[in-house]
Amino acid sequence: MQPTLSPGAPTLSVSDLRGSPKRLRRDKTMKVLLFGAAVMSIVISALIIVTLFGEAWQFVSGLMDTIGLGALVDGGAAPGWYPRQDRFDILTIVVGTLIVSGISVLVAAPLGLGAAIYLSEYASPRMRKWLKPVLEILAGIPSVVFGFFALRVLGPDLVKPLFGTPGNTSLLVTGVAIGILVTPLMASISEDALRSVPSALREASTGLGARRSTTTVKVVIPAAVSGIVAALIISVSRAIGETMVAALASGRLGQSPRTFDPRDPGLTMTAAMAQLAVGSDQVVGSGLAFQSLFFVGALLFLMTLGLNMFANRMVGRVRNKY
Amino acid sequence: MNTSKRRLVLASFVSLGLILTACGDDEGASEATDAPTTEAAGESTTTAAGEESTTTAAGGEIAGGEVFVTGSSTVEPISVLVGELADELSGGSLAVTVEGPGTGDGFKKFCAGEADISDASRKIKDEEAASCAEAGVEFVEIEVAIDGLTVATSPNNAAVTCLDIPALYSLVGPESEGFAKWSDAQALATEVGTTSAAFPDADLTVTGPGPESGTYDTFVEFAIKGLAEERGKEDTARSDYTQSPNDNLIVEGIEGSDSSLGWVGYAFFAAEADRMKAIEIDAGDGCVAPTEETIADGSYPFSRSLYIYVSTTALAENPAVGSFVDIYLSADGLAKVSEAGYVDLPADRIAASTAAWDAAKA
Amino acid sequence: MAVTASIRESSAAVVRASLTGGKRDVKGMLFAAALLLCLLTAMFTLTILLWDVVAQAIPVFQKRSTGFLTNDLASSPDKAGVSQGIWGSLVIAGFVVLLAFPVGIAAGVYLEEYAKPGRLTSFIQLNIRNLAGVPSVVYGILGLVVFVQGLERFTGGRSVISAGITLAILVMPIIIITTAESVRAVPSGLREAGYGVGGTRWETTRHHVLPYAAPGILTGTMLAVARALGEAAPLLLIGAITGRLASPEGQTVVERLQGKFTAMPIIIYGWSNEVNKPGKITGLTFEDLTSAAIVVLLVIVLVLNAAAILLRNRFEKRRQS
Repeated sequence: MQPTLSPGAPTLSVSDLRGSPKRLRRDKTMKVLLFGAAVMSIVISALIIVTLFGEAWQFVSGLMDTIGLGALVDGGAAPGWYPRQDRFDILTIVVGTLIVSGISVLVAAPLGLGAAIYLSEYASPRMRKWLKPVLEILAGIPSVVFGFFALRVLGPDLVKPLFGTPGNTSLLVTGVAIGILVTPLMASISEDALRSVPSALREASTGLGARRSTTTVKVVIPAAVSGIVAALIISVSRAIGETMVAALASGRLGQSPRTFDPRDPGLTMTAAMAQLAVGSDQVVGSGLAFQSLFFVGALLFLMTLGLNMFANRMVGRVRNKY
Repeated sequence: MNTSKRRLVLASFVSLGLILTACGDDEGASEATDAPTTEAAGESTTTAAGEESTTTAAGGEIAGGEVFVTGSSTVEPISVLVGELADELSGGSLAVTVEGPGTGDGFKKFCAGEADISDASRKIKDEEAASCAEAGVEFVEIEVAIDGLTVATSPNNAAVTCLDIPALYSLVGPESEGFAKWSDAQALATEVGTTSAAFPDADLTVTGPGPESGTYDTFVEFAIKGLAEERGKEDTARSDYTQSPNDNLIVEGIEGSDSSLGWVGYAFFAAEADRMKAIEIDAGDGCVAPTEETIADGSYPFSRSLYIYVSTTALAENPAVGSFVDIYLSADGLAKVSEAGYVDLPADRIAASTAAWDAAKA
Repeated sequence: MAVTASIRESSAAVVRASLTGGKRDVKGMLFAAALLLCLLTAMFTLTILLWDVVAQAIPVFQKRSTGFLTNDLASSPDKAGVSQGIWGSLVIAGFVVLLAFPVGIAAGVYLEEYAKPGRLTSFIQLNIRNLAGVPSVVYGILGLVVFVQGLERFTGGRSVISAGITLAILVMPIIIITTAESVRAVPSGLREAGYGVGGTRWETTRHHVLPYAAPGILTGTMLAVARALGEAAPLLLIGAITGRLASPEGQTVVERLQGKFTAMPIIIYGWSNEVNKPGKITGLTFEDLTSAAIVVLLVIVLVLNAAAILLRNRFEKRRQS
């Protein structure tokens, strides 16, 4: 801190409290710089939206000019997503994505919620200190590693013998692997919600003679329910956007016939995108093939955006309640 | 407070420093790389490491520089091996990067001027050549190897050993869409004149490469095109089969069902021969199984040539492209064909390729 | 805290024991066991995954020793190595440090220390939360269109520069959010002390708030770098190389940064799809090599993660005392 008083000054006046112009100018500059950094996030969003929706619109209008919007739901004998042959059955990849994210929630919800309840309500502080970091490490494992794990271990050694899938790759094994992948996320958000329930509620319940399990199920979980729902939704959103596991383990990349059977190989929206560009817009197919990338991307963007905004609102609700 | 601030600054510098030293280390490391890991090909040639220009087996000077090869994933292994050879012969100055998105995507990039060389498992199509011409990219076609397109099924499938072209057309052609069993295709097969044994009453699961792949185009040309044109249909495969750009997944699909059907390149089949059974092909002269001999002498009907397309436009600006193709067509370079699992060209076709290349260089 | 908790626990036990008549709560125990089972299943999977990968990777390190780390991509599992992937990933991490750190921390500080509550501020906050949830593959489209194609003259197209900037943008929301959280946790007494001695807002932020929030911010930045190192999907769209990548000699740093590239997660993806033919000399397959590459990536990522967790735990402890 520089002294603001000159040594010779005998008395203080109001102007002495104003500070030196140099310091004030510096303060202003920093404010502008920091504001610029914050605005950068808006610039990035704008860039994403412009690139995605501009080209996605080109795709839609191109479709209207050529084969018609009806092509988005293929009514033929063998519907499927074959962008390089101008066949864009959007149901194929949307259903694939829904199947995979549905299965992953079936895996992640019980595992993640169970782990969260245990950590928040049962584990001793010492146990928690050890268990929580392990879950966090699990959360830090890159998704491509889960893809390899699904392809080489989960598929052939667990899902195939257990569910009788025809091959090692399927929508099912992709869903299971992504479920394990999002379990730590599910656990961590639900645990935050459970811990934000005031202990007065637990004490009151215990004081009335309730067992710990009763307190947990009848008092704590209902109090934290919107946080738990938020955790579920964020997990779904993460599962929908997961690319590498689907690209490695779902058995299809870039194109696929429509299937409703999780045991079949199938295609997710993300895996459909992963094969359409590879560093260039020069891909085989009409101009629409490359532009379908943006259409799927925009759809994915809207789906996750909707889910995330809903989840944020739910999280806010818990925060405001207590 | 001051210490923790310093720590923050320190940490960011340490991480920066780590990155910078790692970059430095890597340069040193890649030079040391060749020493401990000698390869079979390295024995036949003595290289003056670090020299800017050395001589190829063909006797020409090696120009240093960068070459980018894209195109067929079938030809990719040969180009990768020749790229490694070029690296060895030039002492690292001839730097070849290879990727394999597929013949079709490769030509797209090649004609847009994004690559120097395009690997191809089929000849360039007229419309592709037209787009090259439009973009001002001139090229020369060089045949480098022969591959046998292998139609395969599961080793457990005893019911099918040989198929003729009408049979394949009715199983995989444009009119087969929706056929879920082999027997569903029987009526069509009879109609188009098959002489193969009757199809079994078993599930038909078809797995193969997708349309970005030259292997797909070749299959369409061999098995579908003739009959499709005759019958006024589109010359494409049915679209409701498992398409995969990943050969391992194709094998998995073929292995996964006892009554599967699929097709892959011969090199890939040879590498995984215990997981698939090759179906013999009858093109009118009896059933022929794909082997190195039948593919080389042309008696196997589904044998095809593999090419590299060299941009002479890029060649004019970048002498490294010329050096790389020189090495490709040298004896050591062509030896990589069999190393990659493909069948060598006969001597007269090698001479034709060399002549085409010499003419393009001049 | 700890004392009241233990009193609460023991008195609860006394009350509960007298209420239940000393009988064991079987249902409750089963419930607890089921919960523990959930937690253990997650950890069991982690153990299997790590065990499987490490067991397969060990022979690679035994037979190939450091060659695996120093060699380039190659066609034979006897020769292929990950040096180019390590280089690419570290450069990407460098871009995250150089671009995402300053901008992300600045934005986080602005939101907590400067921004007045209002429509613009809450819009920025909402926007950042949403950006954090955008799937990574969508950032790949952004990278392809803006950096690979739009700014090709500057980035060199399919280059590690394009990849680095894209991933820096991808992790920036994480840094902003963690920075804002750590700054928010700074006791207001510290700020008031700063203003009390006549400091400007920036001086107070810089000398009072940031040093206190630094460990939390550092934790967030490490997690962000770890995330960037493991991310593969955007790099697929940007066009990272999986076949053969040349390492030309005598390039300037700029040329090398503008050249074609690969990264650790891309190598793992590419090798996962390779044919499993054992190499003639070592007998290793690309599947073994993939496991070894995963071990290399996990060591880098987990060290960063573990450091971040340790740092946070120490920080929390210091706060409590």
